[in-house]
Amino acid sequence: MSSTVSSEMFDALTDMKLDDEWKSSTGKGVSVVIIDSGVDKFHSDLKGKIKNTFAAVRDGNRTVFEETDAGDSAGHGTACAGIISKIAPEADLSSIKVLGAGGLGDGHAFLAGLEFAIKQGYKIINLSLGTTKPQFVVPLNDLINRAYQAGCIIVAAGNNLPQPSYPSVFSSSLIAVSKSSETNYFDFGFNFGETIELTAPGVNVRTTWLNDGYRTLTGNSFACPHIVGVITLLLESFPDLTPFQVKSALYSIARRNQERKS
Amino acid sequence: MSEKNEHVIEKNLKALVEIVDVVNAMTLPIVKSIENLLVKSAAVMGSEEASVLVRDGDEGDLRFLSATGEVADQLINLRVPAGKGVAGFVFSSGQPMTISDTGQEASFYAEVDKKTGFSTETLLATPIQYQGNIIGVLEYVNRIGRPPYEPFTPEEMDRAALYADPIATLVNAYEAIVIFKDLGDEILSANSEINFEEIRGWLRGVRGNKNHKEMIDLAILIREVSMQGDAERILCKEILESFLSYSENNLQSKFSHL
Repeated sequence: MSSTVSSEMFDALTDMKLDDEWKSSTGKGVSVVIIDSGVDKFHSDLKGKIKNTFAAVRDGNRTVFEETDAGDSAGHGTACAGIISKIAPEADLSSIKVLGAGGLGDGHAFLAGLEFAIKQGYKIINLSLGTTKPQFVVPLNDLINRAYQAGCIIVAAGNNLPQPSYPSVFSSSLIAVSKSSETNYFDFGFNFGETIELTAPGVNVRTTWLNDGYRTLTGNSFACPHIVGVITLLLESFPDLTPFQVKSALYSIARRNQERKS
Repeated sequence: MSEKNEHVIEKNLKALVEIVDVVNAMTLPIVKSIENLLVKSAAVMGSEEASVLVRDGDEGDLRFLSATGEVADQLINLRVPAGKGVAGFVFSSGQPMTISDTGQEASFYAEVDKKTGFSTETLLATPIQYQGNIIGVLEYVNRIGRPPYEPFTPEEMDRAALYADPIATLVNAYEAIVIFKDLGDEILSANSEINFEEIRGWLRGVRGNKNHKEMIDLAILIREVSMQGDAERILCKEILESFLSYSENNLQSKFSHL
């Protein structure tokens, strides 16, 4: 007996027929937030598509979040937004800026940003960020579990370097992604048994950048928003999917991709 | 202030300047070693330019410590504000990244390019990590030859991370030494009564002194041995502590004979 679930078995088990109809969705009504270096909402490709832009601000010992037009200090968040928007042009995109000037990006802002996103009730969180510092393992794990229980789908980029990066290694409660040289975002792969289970386009990805520009980028950071985009489409067609069901659906799609290729 | 106190302060200040001078002498070979590694690794990576940025202050700012290539001299000590550009992102996120611009657009590394007149077209940036902390960024810029340049590959991204490891050890040693230098500079600049001309004259004399030269040589030797690895560092420390203990005992025994 085969130990893996075939696509037909998956359809029967989940009562969710995964034909290709969902692929023509636009992500309408699905809320997605990018926790990163901010997003340049005035970029020609993103104009009118970014709903809220928050930035971490220090208030004494606390980190609070305020609506801002501060934009993107590095280009990274704008690059992720461009990828998601290309796949799901009608998604409700928002940004939480935790990297940038004034000591942001110290891990605490990242944690606070994630907590803020979960409290705001976003359906999908794009985390093309992570930390290798062990002191953040427990609070991050706690937050990721809270998100999972709240039905919030977190997609995290795996570390490009050999050591583990958090939260991407908490693969039971989130979806972790690494880069592949594949170019079609529907042709993603699934490495069952690996910590970073999904592979998606992340090599020489052409996307939006600062100053209304475009760049060609390589890194797991850019594989992550491809999967976010795909999930956004999936959730428009199947809005009640739980994080577990979403991962199962991705697994099933990846298996079909594999079957088709072989 | 009594004449005796003034003499003590002068003596202490001179000792401090002497330490700062040793520290300065020690940072030079470290920076040179980083530069050598940059030259060799850039050749293997097929890159035209390479540079190392280190943290500058506590707010996430970066500063070019070492660079090779056409505009290396202009890059040294150039600052990149926190979170700005690819280097700023790589430093704050800890994630390597390659970026290329094969089109006709303006350079993406605008601020630094503007200052140096260089044109960055393809870039690989990877974090420099020491014991889990990100202490800088290693960058490779453009390819050898003429544009358009091939983008850096994921395999080269992995290779760059391997080069970042020995550079991290050197940057860490550099930073440890610079702490002393900054402390010394701070103390010296806080004392408005210092006659710097007099100190400079005295320092010139010190530099010509055989003992001072030997002290610098010894410091460099200790640094080199210590940087061979953890075991060497521990051994070096133990030997020096044994010598110190021997010397103290010897001194005490000399006193007892008096």
